[in-house]
Amino acid sequence: MNRILSLGVLLLPAFAFAQERYATRTGEVTFFSETPVENIDAVNHKATSVIDLTTGQVQVSMLMKAFEFEKALMQEHFNENYVESNTYPKGEFKGKFTGFTAENAKKPGKYEVVLEGDLTMHGVTRKRTLNATIEVDANGALKASCDFTLKPTDHGIKIPGGVNVAEDIKVKARMDFQKM
Amino acid sequence: MKRNILIAVLVVAVAGAFIGYRMYNEKTPTASEKAADLTVEATTLFAAFTTDEVAAGKLYNDKVLQVNGVVREVSATGNGPVNVMLETGDAMGAVVCEFAADKSPAWQKGQNVAVKGFCAGYNLDVLLQRCAAVE
Repeated sequence: MNRILSLGVLLLPAFAFAQERYATRTGEVTFFSETPVENIDAVNHKATSVIDLTTGQVQVSMLMKAFEFEKALMQEHFNENYVESNTYPKGEFKGKFTGFTAENAKKPGKYEVVLEGDLTMHGVTRKRTLNATIEVDANGALKASCDFTLKPTDHGIKIPGGVNVAEDIKVKARMDFQKM
Repeated sequence: MKRNILIAVLVVAVAGAFIGYRMYNEKTPTASEKAADLTVEATTLFAAFTTDEVAAGKLYNDKVLQVNGVVREVSATGNGPVNVMLETGDAMGAVVCEFAADKSPAWQKGQNVAVKGFCAGYNLDVLLQRCAAVE
């Protein structure tokens, strides 16, 4: 069983194999905090995701410790003081999408997609509606991208005054899906 | 006397600022600069996380692990790291070792290898980051 197929079995076990599922284990998620004093960014190269084009279901999961920073102190503060990754090791999104079907996947082009679901981070779940795009290339590969902002305070993350972290964090997700 | 005290205070302040600046700007370390905290077989490490993720996380997360195993696959992802996947005895997951593209070893499928890396936890695979080959 290949790795992509096994991912779908693990993440969406309740659905039949005949459905149109695509998956990745190497999704890239970056975040960027911009303040007049300092900019901070981090990247995670190991987000996992499965999308089902028949049911419109989507699931994304990532380890918070897999976010890498250039500076050691920033990575330490992120994990220990803010997201508390020992207690809340994963960030997740579970929901549904509209604007892309199995028929679209057969036609190269760029499609606007809307995601609706539950975004969980730091143990706090928020309903979110996110805009994304899915690009189908000539080989039938799916490249998805989704940019949105996230308020740490919405997820119970306290940033002390005087710390150079923006109130709105810019998040970018890039997923190259393979058919299962 | 006052002048000497003032100079001493200034020296301490400058030294403190310098040390603080150095600490603040210290780069995130790679495993090549660190000694391993624990040595474990890839199969044992994966089994620990799939049996009890919380207990395994307490034991292994953030530690520098030396993991011994057999290469299942080597793959690169665009501008991202090179991933060396070690066999676990379970087709559902691997121990995935991230190497910087310019530091990835020329390993082949089936080769017995040893890797040092920072353990980030388990998300279908066990993830080791900022890895270095152990010769």
